[in-house]
Amino acid sequence: MRGAEFLALALLAALPLAVRNPYALGLLTLLAIYGVLLIGLDVSVGYLGQINLGQVAFLGIGAYTAGLLVARLGWGLAPSLLAASGAGLAVGGLLALPALRLEGPQFALATLSFSALTVTALNELESITGGAQGLSLTRPLLLGRTLESRGFYWLCLAALALVWITMRNLLGGQWGRAFEALRDSPIATDAMGVGTYRHKVAGFALGSGLGAFAGGLYAFNFQYLQPQIFTYDLMVVLLLGVVLGGRKSLWGAFAGACIVVLLPNLLSSRRLFLTLALAGFAAALAAGVRALAGRRTGAFQALAPIAATALLAAGGLLAKHTEDWRKAIFALMLFAVMVGLPEGLMGFCSRFLAGVFRVPPPALPPPARLDDALPVRAVAPGALLQVTDLRRHFGGVKAVDGITLEVLEGSVHGLIGPNGSGKSTLVNVVSGLYQPSSGRIRLRGAQARRPGLMAMARAGVARTFQNLQLFSELSALDNVMVALGGVFRLPLPLVIAGLGRAEERRAQADALALLAFVGLEDQARTRARDLPYGAQRFLELARALARRPVLLILDEPAAGLAHPDVLRLIGIIRAVHQRGITILLIEHHMDVVGELCDQVTVMDGGRLLAEGAPEAVKRHPLVLEAYLGAPAEGLGEAAP
Amino acid sequence: MDIQIIGQMVVSGALMGLVYALIAYGFQLTYSTSRSLNFGQGELVMVSAFVALSCTRLGLPYGLMVPVALAFGALAGLAVERAAVRLALQQKSEGWIMLTIIVGLFLYSASENIWGRDDRPFPTPISSDPLHFLGIDVTPLELSVALGALGVMGLIELFKRATLLGKAVEAVSADPDAAELVGISATRAVMLSYALSGMVAALAGVLVSPITTVGPTMGAALVLKAFSVAVVAGLDSGFGVVLVGMFLGALESLASFYLGSGWREAPGLVLLILALAVRPHGVFGRAAIRKV
Repeated sequence: MRGAEFLALALLAALPLAVRNPYALGLLTLLAIYGVLLIGLDVSVGYLGQINLGQVAFLGIGAYTAGLLVARLGWGLAPSLLAASGAGLAVGGLLALPALRLEGPQFALATLSFSALTVTALNELESITGGAQGLSLTRPLLLGRTLESRGFYWLCLAALALVWITMRNLLGGQWGRAFEALRDSPIATDAMGVGTYRHKVAGFALGSGLGAFAGGLYAFNFQYLQPQIFTYDLMVVLLLGVVLGGRKSLWGAFAGACIVVLLPNLLSSRRLFLTLALAGFAAALAAGVRALAGRRTGAFQALAPIAATALLAAGGLLAKHTEDWRKAIFALMLFAVMVGLPEGLMGFCSRFLAGVFRVPPPALPPPARLDDALPVRAVAPGALLQVTDLRRHFGGVKAVDGITLEVLEGSVHGLIGPNGSGKSTLVNVVSGLYQPSSGRIRLRGAQARRPGLMAMARAGVARTFQNLQLFSELSALDNVMVALGGVFRLPLPLVIAGLGRAEERRAQADALALLAFVGLEDQARTRARDLPYGAQRFLELARALARRPVLLILDEPAAGLAHPDVLRLIGIIRAVHQRGITILLIEHHMDVVGELCDQVTVMDGGRLLAEGAPEAVKRHPLVLEAYLGAPAEGLGEAAP
Repeated sequence: MDIQIIGQMVVSGALMGLVYALIAYGFQLTYSTSRSLNFGQGELVMVSAFVALSCTRLGLPYGLMVPVALAFGALAGLAVERAAVRLALQQKSEGWIMLTIIVGLFLYSASENIWGRDDRPFPTPISSDPLHFLGIDVTPLELSVALGALGVMGLIELFKRATLLGKAVEAVSADPDAAELVGISATRAVMLSYALSGMVAALAGVLVSPITTVGPTMGAALVLKAFSVAVVAGLDSGFGVVLVGMFLGALESLASFYLGSGWREAPGLVLLILALAVRPHGVFGRAAIRKV
């Protein structure tokens, strides 16, 4: 892959030596600029998984910042580019603060409004931007030298290469994993102490900064700016470029840029367009028929691309001027790709090539020693977790209604109770997901200053979830690596410079040790959502252990497990306990509770029902009544 | 500034705002059943208006043209659901955002080529001679917009509450899985909601075109404001959109008067971003509890 990158760069750099055509050079320059822009857009669309309709506004903000600094204040090339990127980063960060609490359509709408607002402002602030008349500028000097178009092309290409390397180092490591993790499960990302919000804001600001950087280059390339360049039409084309090329991939963004730049030229020759359309139709037909025959996809996924490409080919034959139908053609191509090849062109190609050439994935390091990955913790006597008169009400529902509870350090503390008795709500409050309505939670005598998942995770609480909250698109190994506490210490600039590899290897080794600890060492590369259910439960356990927690909360870990897996689970929990980790265990399987717990708390209706050793609690009359709905004597009579 | 002029601005703005409310109501219809909405809804408004215009050109009387346009809108809504939404819903992904944008783009490009890029007047039998109320001018045309918008919203609400089919749609809105268990097809309910939403969009197109003229870009301007209305009110707010729509329409006409016509879109956009920042579930919407 490295070789291919270098080859492509060398080829692109050498092209203008062979091709003297200024039009072609212009296209190449635009390709490099759009490459940067789409790599930035891919951060939010691919990694954060949000439909971002605001990138075009950042292109505009960058272009106008750089353009105005040059035209009005006479700044040089490098400082104005830096200022443009800075403006994008800052505005992106500001917009992200409110907008990123939103999900899906709301986020798309917020960014859409922002870009419409930006165009309005650029149009209306005539005294500054020149309004609809546009803004003319001359390309500034670089280190005192004028850049003719070829030199400027090389500058843009260098910028693309720089951005490429930076992003590869950044997104290939813990940052990229965190971005993907928060897309799959924001709650688990917080619960693992990674921080959903800060990563979202940082990711969006980063993508916006790159967009504005591209905007600065854009301004110097065309030397003339108008607000209506940066409208919704261009935005849709850019977004579609990323999706068409393939998300979460630098190559995909580059391929998208190629398509966006070259498409108008492909359409200018009817024969070329028709050939491509027919080729697309043939490919869709072949793939569709194969998929239908093998029953691998639904009818719609097979037929819709065929219909779209057929329409494309028919349009190529019938339309007078294919250029006029540019947007419709783009729409049809995209429709076919989105439905038929959801991972995009490059995603498909890389999978295909890896299959053909049987490229082995990069080798993993040997697992670390378990004592390094999960050091044995010395147990200090005393209470670890103290919950005092805790209440959590939802409207009129008193899910937790005055619970006082003490979990001793080094113990396995069971929490049982009938369905709906408030166990899960209690641990949700303790782990910081819900704010308590009233009451106090103390960890080692200290009260968390700001309650919340992140704060509790940082204080040493790790948890699993009753309904699994895995990072489903990440591999098992990556799931554990995201959560690894205390391994990734290298400052950001060094990570960007590509010095994070040693740390990455160490993290892989630690994560492999934890996977081996729960018996998943052979599944390290399997995507979490492709694992069988039982393995997913064990993976969540390994991920929680990666936090090296003080207190591990297990919310019904045995739910839905087959009997052999339950036995394995008991063994693992016991081994965790032996490493000095305190465990709070919610469970319905009484044999699991009896086998593991030192102390058991029983809840019913949000209140404390009984407390004590497992055997004593099991015979407690109130507990029997809560579980079986009958007084204890009645039960004794009915029993044979 | 004269109170009368302000009153005039507020009233005509608010009447125009009912169109935004109507389109926003269309978003609510589909959002309630499927948690999805058509990002190409503006194009649906525009294409329906063009179809209505062509019908009029062919000599169809107004009374016949309207049902034809509504039927076209319903069919177009169904087509959007089939082509762009259903697959994504089955996969529980947000792919419908991109796919509906794509369908909108296609419709835009197609209308540009079929009907041309120019804005065209839209003939209507309803008079635009102003009537005077308390010194404020209101045209029958504006009143027809208000009546049509409120009327169709009322009818659809009545349909949802009073008919068995409507109650089935409500059931799917409340809980699709539970509805499926009692034998209601969630897919059918989503289809119905998209058909109704398309019909509402077509009505909006027919109502607003005599005032704004018909052109390929008419949809984009309308839909942005409709988004604002839907989000500010809350995507599950019911009639909340009417209030917010009228408020936004009034605000917009005041903004264009005081700040210049270029700024007329700005209040809606700012309001949308603010609303999302402060109350993501909208002024009239309900917040959901995070469950794990």
